[in-house]
Amino acid sequence: MALRGTAKRISSFMKKWTPLLVFLFILFFAFPPLAPAQVQTRVRVIEASNVGSVIDPSLRDLHGQLGSLFRYTSYRLLRDERINLSPNQPASVPVHQGRSIEITQVGLQANMAELRVRIKRDGADILNTQVRLSPGRTVLVGGPKHGEGVVILALSANF
Amino acid sequence: MKDSCSSIAQMLEKYFDRQATDQEKSLVENHLSDCTICQEKLGDLEGLRMFIKAPVDAALRQETFPWIWERIEKGIRQERKLSWWESLRSWLDLSPLFRKRVWIPAMATAIILILVTSPLLFFKKDPSYSERSVVEYVESGVYNVMVYESENAKVTVIWLFEGPQNESPAS
Repeated sequence: MALRGTAKRISSFMKKWTPLLVFLFILFFAFPPLAPAQVQTRVRVIEASNVGSVIDPSLRDLHGQLGSLFRYTSYRLLRDERINLSPNQPASVPVHQGRSIEITQVGLQANMAELRVRIKRDGADILNTQVRLSPGRTVLVGGPKHGEGVVILALSANF
Repeated sequence: MKDSCSSIAQMLEKYFDRQATDQEKSLVENHLSDCTICQEKLGDLEGLRMFIKAPVDAALRQETFPWIWERIEKGIRQERKLSWWESLRSWLDLSPLFRKRVWIPAMATAIILILVTSPLLFFKKDPSYSERSVVEYVESGVYNVMVYESENAKVTVIWLFEGPQNESPAS
């Protein structure tokens, strides 16, 4: 008797809720969960040179990538900034010698943030780019001379 | 019998059976207050009811309804407390789940879910170049720009060349 009652309850539950569950399931896949609005971006300003062979300890996570891409022997961290980017709110970080980097979050999906990056020198744009960053991916912007080497900006995002 | 008695007589039975409307009830009661004939008629009806009811009540009092007790006892026997082993077995018994009423909606749900999810699971869309690309665009009025994207190393390089004498990426 108890079993029959349980079966009846399960059956009526299924009848009642199955359409709703199916509808919710379809909704879940049709519309991915909303991404968080803020993107935490890390900007590291690195001086790369062939003077010495110093690898800054805080660049350990990047060392393998830098070593596989460049021939420099020394990587020194000049600046390490973490910025919380809100949508369409530009944030600026001074880099070196009158240069600054301005980053704006222009889009955000579940696993990808679109960032507009402007590097300015004395207020004028010298580089204007837009990149898609997923957590764990790094964009290196480098080339301008700095001291005995060059300056490299490492951009990464977490959200 | 008065003239109005004939019209009240129709309502009297309804009044006696408690089926008269409020209006009929007040009419009958007004009439009964000064009509002894109708009072007697109502008394006869009550006597008749008592005449029928008394033997029925007496018979009901003597009847023990053994078949009812049998059913009650049977129900009690079926509802007796199960031992822990029987309870466990009833919990583990999945047979109610295989009844048509349950498995038909369950199967329908499963089929719909499979139809909805299979394209997502098995037919992954091949990302276009613009979806794979990390750098959407790059422009510089000052530098020559080179973009190098490495999928495995999860790194993208945007290299700015100031002039032919400057450093360049060397891998």
